[in-house]
Amino acid sequence: MAPIGARGVLRRFNALYAALLDFLLVISVASIILPVSLQIFARFTELLPHYIWTEEASRFLLVWTVMIGAMIAIREGTHFNVDLFPGLKGRTKAAADIFAGLFILLFAFVFLWWGIEFTDSAWYRISELAELPLWTIHIAWPVAGFSWIVFQGERMWDSLDVLLHGEEHLP
Amino acid sequence: MIGASLSAGQAAALLFGVFFALLLARVPVAVALGLACLPSLLIEERLWPMILVQETFNGFNSFILIAVPFFLLAANLMNVGGITDRLVRFSRSLVGHFPGGLAQINVVLSIFFAGISGSSTADAASQSKIFIEAQRREGYDDSFSVAITAVSAVLAVIIPPSILMIVWGGVLTVSIGGLFLAGVIPGLLIGFAQMATVHVYAKLRGYPTYPRATLKEFLVSAFISIPALMTPFIIIGGKIFGWFTATESACIAVLYAGALSVFVYREMDWKGLRMAFSDTGRLSGITLFCVGTASAFGWLMAYYKMPEALLSGVLAWQMGASMTGFFIAGVFLVVGCFLDAIPAIIIVGTILQPIAEAAGLHPIHFAMIGIVSLAFGLVTPPYGLCLMIACSVAGIRITDALKDTLIMLVPMLAVLAVLILWPDMALLLPRLIEPDFLK
Repeated sequence: MAPIGARGVLRRFNALYAALLDFLLVISVASIILPVSLQIFARFTELLPHYIWTEEASRFLLVWTVMIGAMIAIREGTHFNVDLFPGLKGRTKAAADIFAGLFILLFAFVFLWWGIEFTDSAWYRISELAELPLWTIHIAWPVAGFSWIVFQGERMWDSLDVLLHGEEHLP
Repeated sequence: MIGASLSAGQAAALLFGVFFALLLARVPVAVALGLACLPSLLIEERLWPMILVQETFNGFNSFILIAVPFFLLAANLMNVGGITDRLVRFSRSLVGHFPGGLAQINVVLSIFFAGISGSSTADAASQSKIFIEAQRREGYDDSFSVAITAVSAVLAVIIPPSILMIVWGGVLTVSIGGLFLAGVIPGLLIGFAQMATVHVYAKLRGYPTYPRATLKEFLVSAFISIPALMTPFIIIGGKIFGWFTATESACIAVLYAGALSVFVYREMDWKGLRMAFSDTGRLSGITLFCVGTASAFGWLMAYYKMPEALLSGVLAWQMGASMTGFFIAGVFLVVGCFLDAIPAIIIVGTILQPIAEAAGLHPIHFAMIGIVSLAFGLVTPPYGLCLMIACSVAGIRITDALKDTLIMLVPMLAVLAVLILWPDMALLLPRLIEPDFLK
């Protein structure tokens, strides 16, 4: 039975949003190679000028790679935790997951709230070398906060369902 | 004083107390590190939570860390591009006829893999898929197969190139080229210790063996593997002779692995390439996200001057160089049970550095003790990433593989003890090849 109503909308939104993030992740990983390669070839050949922006561009792409990877990891539940109770099942596990999830939501809120301030502080600033507008990097923080809230929200909704109706009910 | 509302002791209790409480509640490590900073940031008048955001940004905004996705990508390209398959065949012709042939191949492949990739988690993920099912079919016990796959994966961060060496060199300002050279002998000795362990297991339990490869088979598989086996020399040589930075050498590894896959072994397709990029991004996100929150945690420890407070306490014990070495290894082994190696370097490495310096340990010797101890932490529960990965691929519980893992750690710990007592195990190669690294 597929979930209906608000929960179904959230699930469909998250599936599409995660596919978009995965696409962006592939792009950002693939494109880190370019500036670093340029930097190497510029040093050893006369064919290329010594671009000054390569070092900074590759760092900013790393920031986005890490942040997008961390967003997807919340959806997939793959951020590593120290599992001291590996035997949890069913409703006990659902309750424990909801409890841990509340802290993830709090953390997401911190990134969203102070991430907005962080982005705002960079609104008129540009980077030192590549002269990119800095908000294009800083905005990864509020975006991450938002993504974690919607992804973690879906997971916790599922856990709540298990807690209330038992495991076999899960769509 | 420092004008803070909390004393160093109170702040430490708060930081570590919240952190461990959250770990107990099964909150992800990266999130727990970040949330542990929050109370202090709210209590102190001069601080506010945007510092958490700013420090995570500073943590990721590092050219050195770009080496991490590159080494993960190189490993993924090796797998989808057919390089790994060639190395398996070559390893088989080398050690397949030893008792426990397939498990010996498992260890030898990890040694080759370690020379190309610098990531133990990538090694554990790919070799679990190759070996665990295959060893199960040949009659090896599951717990043995999981344990040997996990413990051999730790070689990837001890034998150069290594993500841990790059992070250590960047965070604690030690020559990365020097660390690369220092890792060769300890890494190979630990690899041989594992092969000896496999030998004893195979004799006791009667594990199968393959017929000895003919000279022709050996020569053919060696010839095919030559381009792949050149990689470590290109990466490490390029770093040691100062042609590339650490990050650039990792980029060369990616370009070389990509070129081999596309032009030499010709097994790469678009789908495989896209999967390689996607997997790399996911694993980089998980591995590196905690660097950000660990940096914020470390920043607060420095703000409250905790390393200084600890140093004066430990100096009062008056330990000699070897005793300090064992103390450092012990701390890292315990920390490695609860924390991933990279945040452990950022948080604990910076605390122990003044202690090692005061005891007269060479920075490279100190680094190797730390890196080897933290590498062992990758297979010690509750937080042993390589063991967790191997167990999840095999579909068994960590507790089931624990006994064999701990048995295999004994000879590895013996190598660590020799490394502590005999600094030249780490320092000999740097001294012979590039003495400048030791200055």
